[in-house]
Amino acid sequence: MADKVQLLTSIEKKTLIGKRVPKPDSRDKAIGRTRYINDMKLPGMLHGKILHAGVPHARIKRIDVSKARDLPGVHAVLTADDIPEFIFGMARDNRPLKGGKVRCVRDEIAAVAAESEAICDAALALIEVEFEALPAVFDPAEAAKDDAPRIHEGKDDNFNLKYHFGSGDVKAAEATSDVVIDETFNVHYVTHVCMGTSCAIADFDPDGKLTIYSQTQYPYNFKMDLAPALGMHAGDIRVIQPPIGGAFGSKLDVYPYEPVCVLLARATQRPVKLMFSREEEFINAPTRQPVRIHLRAGAKKDGTLTFRDIKCLLNNGAYTSWGPTVPYVMMRTFSSLFRVPDVNIDCQSVYTNNPYAGSFRGYGNVQATYALAIHTDIMAEALGMSFVDLALKNAQVSGEVTPQGAVLNECALAECLTLAADKTDFRAKEKEYAALRDAPGRFKRGIGMAASIHNAGGAKIHKSDGCGTILKLDDYARCTVITGASEIGQGIDAVLSQIISEELGIPMRDITIVNNDSAIAPWDVGVHASRTTFIAGNGAQRAARKARVQILAAASRQSNVPPEALDLREGWVVQEDGGVPVIKIDRILRQMHFSDEPELVMVSDYYEPPSEPEGKDHVGDMSAAYSHAVHVAEVEVDTETGEVKVLKITSAQDVGRIINELGLEAQIEGGIIMGLGYAISEELIIENGQVRNPNFRDYKLITSPEVPELDLHFIESHSSTGPMGAKGIAELPTIVIAPAVANAVHNAIGIRFHNPPMTPEKVARAIWEKNSSRAAAE
Amino acid sequence: MQVKPSGTLDEYLAPVTIEEAARALADGRASVLAGGTDLMLQAANGRTPYRGRLVNIRRIAELRGAAITGGRVRIGALTTVTDILNHAELAKAVPVLRQTADKFASNQIRNMATIGGNICNASPAGDMIIPLLALEAEVELASWDGAKIRTREVALEKFFTGPGRTVMERGELLTAVSFAVPEAGHRVRFAKSGPRPALEISTVSAAFAATCKDGVTTNVRIVLGAVAPTPIRARSAEALMEGAECSGDLAARAAKAAAGEISPIDDVRASAWYRTHLTEVFVRRLIEDVCHG
Amino acid sequence: MSATVEINFTLNGRKRQLTIDAGLSALNLLRDKLDMTGTKYACGEGECGACTILVDGLSVNSCLMYAADFDGRDIVTIEGLRSDKGFDPMQDAFVEHGAIQCGFCMPGMIMQARHLADTNKDLTYDGLKRGLEGNVCRCTGYKKVFDAVADVIGIAK
Repeated sequence: MADKVQLLTSIEKKTLIGKRVPKPDSRDKAIGRTRYINDMKLPGMLHGKILHAGVPHARIKRIDVSKARDLPGVHAVLTADDIPEFIFGMARDNRPLKGGKVRCVRDEIAAVAAESEAICDAALALIEVEFEALPAVFDPAEAAKDDAPRIHEGKDDNFNLKYHFGSGDVKAAEATSDVVIDETFNVHYVTHVCMGTSCAIADFDPDGKLTIYSQTQYPYNFKMDLAPALGMHAGDIRVIQPPIGGAFGSKLDVYPYEPVCVLLARATQRPVKLMFSREEEFINAPTRQPVRIHLRAGAKKDGTLTFRDIKCLLNNGAYTSWGPTVPYVMMRTFSSLFRVPDVNIDCQSVYTNNPYAGSFRGYGNVQATYALAIHTDIMAEALGMSFVDLALKNAQVSGEVTPQGAVLNECALAECLTLAADKTDFRAKEKEYAALRDAPGRFKRGIGMAASIHNAGGAKIHKSDGCGTILKLDDYARCTVITGASEIGQGIDAVLSQIISEELGIPMRDITIVNNDSAIAPWDVGVHASRTTFIAGNGAQRAARKARVQILAAASRQSNVPPEALDLREGWVVQEDGGVPVIKIDRILRQMHFSDEPELVMVSDYYEPPSEPEGKDHVGDMSAAYSHAVHVAEVEVDTETGEVKVLKITSAQDVGRIINELGLEAQIEGGIIMGLGYAISEELIIENGQVRNPNFRDYKLITSPEVPELDLHFIESHSSTGPMGAKGIAELPTIVIAPAVANAVHNAIGIRFHNPPMTPEKVARAIWEKNSSRAAAE
Repeated sequence: MQVKPSGTLDEYLAPVTIEEAARALADGRASVLAGGTDLMLQAANGRTPYRGRLVNIRRIAELRGAAITGGRVRIGALTTVTDILNHAELAKAVPVLRQTADKFASNQIRNMATIGGNICNASPAGDMIIPLLALEAEVELASWDGAKIRTREVALEKFFTGPGRTVMERGELLTAVSFAVPEAGHRVRFAKSGPRPALEISTVSAAFAATCKDGVTTNVRIVLGAVAPTPIRARSAEALMEGAECSGDLAARAAKAAAGEISPIDDVRASAWYRTHLTEVFVRRLIEDVCHG
Repeated sequence: MSATVEINFTLNGRKRQLTIDAGLSALNLLRDKLDMTGTKYACGEGECGACTILVDGLSVNSCLMYAADFDGRDIVTIEGLRSDKGFDPMQDAFVEHGAIQCGFCMPGMIMQARHLADTNKDLTYDGLKRGLEGNVCRCTGYKKVFDAVADVIGIAK
């Protein structure tokens, strides 16, 4: 050992920050060793299945489960009659099993626990149900009428959640406008399509305490939200999070299958696993919130934006999950994307007999940006400007405060716009393609730009937006980090390991992240809102720094070098100046442990970001950082078949600072392709309350041959509040892409699409109608 | 796990000769397993309930492979779509088969799915069927008459009677599909709806075959898929083109005529309007490709 | 009564003999009977590729294959995909190129990539994009998958 010390005369600081670091869990995933929740079996486990209503609005006249109960292998059959009236959900409007009447096709009316899924299926087929159809309503505007069928009895009408934000005087501002553009957008249903279908496993101990294996992305509030659906105390619920096949916001609430699974476990006193088939997943898993957006806005001749007046009507569906709450984020975009002082926004959700929406990557911002970025393009066209110049004219600068109180520190909007335009020769191509619109030829090219803003330092939608971290080092300088931050594939395992490695000078392979058990890990508000790198990263860094102080103090006592002159590098305590080795970290840890005044390095931290919840007026600086992204889409439209081929996407995004370049690229690439599906191919087709395309054949995800060239650019604005300067990044790429494509399609063929997706048929039909009306005019 | 077999499945046989297979099918209470890509799903969802006995014909070596002899192409029923894609001689003699195979489902499905299965499934959107109709192919059916194998040949055009329905009798086995090698100058092309290059259930598919010599179009065949209960020949469009001068607006007129011959439906994949529109677009493009390309 | 069938086959290099239900899918045999859960269920209809395995060297959707048809065949699943040196280079490349996020579709994706590498001598970048068209991924946007496969096969974009 001593010899080795003499050989090492200087240890340089090496950093993993900004490097390309594979996810620590990816090796296991690549060799098929990872046990996902869908793969799990517990000893004595039964399978559970749900009987869904399949009709949108009906009274249950009769339900007879006796034959199902008699089937060999069946352990329990439950209906609403078998359980107390547990009520749960964001608006306290949902129940695990529905009795009396059903309000949408998803409604859970019975559940079976049996020895196998096949027996469950056979038992469900034996349940006799008689419905009496009730008049149903599917359109929120229809549902808002006085004489519309009531979805929830005991309510005076079908109105549910209402949001208003106002700033300045839009009427006065309109009077000063040279151009006013008034457009209505209808954004559609899409769904998350997680590759691992919805799944839960419930297991009770003899004392009545529940362990639930869950896909949840918010384990701590999940307990709070699940408890009322079971008549349980939240403290008696332990949540274990095995690896899952994607989430994207779909697992940020409690959905009925989860309490149903638990109720089956309670009824049978056996572990019960309930997993959806793909068809069940398409029909019963949450969707993105569809919205009708009426957007009226003005500008002066020079491009200065004057006002925005917005009305949003949300199809609530039958029950309330996160979907109808998306105005929280939509309003932020309407009030904060570009400088606009006078803003009025009214949003209203109305119950219908449709399936209902949850949160989905972008959480309202996908919808708001689709409308606003197309509207901005229309405005630019009306003013004879390019999108990029109109956006630059109204781009905020660092330090500006938006009408809702968002403080735009380290704002890189103008840089994003300039970079995206320069990299694509945007202004010239936009003119060139527009000029060729009416030239002969089957294929038309187009280029389009879109921009958006999103919270990048958490989002204080709960009272707390914090994350707890416990960090310990053992006698071998192996570090365990117990964090509230969930891993759902996004790569927080790599990011936290990199940050800890940076602070403690130990290799990544010596760091173990523990974050999958609510009985072990401290509180966190969940993986959502592009918050985890920012919040959990800050927490991990703070915890590591506490450990670092403790180690350096011990090393200082031993070496008589002041702690501020010491550093941790490559497993060594070194002198900061020159990197002269002092002692190996594992050695000092043992000395600390086995000394006369023994100490272990085990620290904890609770990080709460410097943000504030919105007031009732929806004003508040609810995120500790904000970020922008600009996308440019280049497309080719086949004017005969209507096919939109996306050739290239150029992205410029403010990322604060790059922590893991590989993970950053992966999130942005994945986000773009997900958003591209929203733009051109994905739609959950719901007609008369029924899902018409519950399969991969007809719900069209983007497949590999359709992936365009991707040109990604990162702008490092160095957030003053983010860990190492980083900002949250994962939602913006999904948010910005669809309107960029829509603007590009318009550039190519002169037609606007206010109702995505731009499927071949929709585009072909619009071109045909345009040609027909032109021919008629001539 | 998610598979819920319907019907009864009380016997499993894996014959290795056509005769064994024909005997196994003779009583009419057997389901034939070839590639399985359709059967597995259709048995699970109840569309094609098992008939009692599952006869796996995949071990019958003589049913697999394609050969060109005496000016005729003969493709054994168990020849997979991948086999067709990789068959150099076939690709040279009849390029449209490779062109179609390339747009068929995915690599994994092409590796399993057989040409016989695609024909017997009798989907109006069945990709391989469309060029085979343009090639005026025949299918060979074998059955056991109690003493020996009986065979018959049926023109593919007469084979389909509706979605999933054919003239095949219960004891019969489709053993091969055959057609004459197109004469020199006779060109056949296939088109199907996108936007994906493959892995699409066709909204519309089309094949066009013709000889364009000295400016005159002869031997015209126009086949359309997914626009009627079975794949169809657009006879009046063909008649319009037969012997006509391939110039001016002939392609457009023939395409319009073809679009008038279909009976498309509105469904979740496309409206009847779009199917009609695409039919016209595809037929015109194929004619232009073959006659002017 | 459901018919059973005895099958003899090679699974990841080892001979196996089993008696199974004739209607059982290969996917369910692997996952439910043999507890080999590396092969995933994600659609059960051959539309997503998560259940891809190699049968006599060719990739197939195990959800559409009858387990009875395993008889006499050589089967490789993600658990058996190895090279002489350890893990298959495809597995290493997927890790190093950051192609794995939630990873649920990746066993199938890697098996299909292995099939492509083995069966296409002159694969182009566009050809490999086409070759993966039967494998759906919701996380990655596919780009890093292309990078990984191109690296193993030795093709430039």
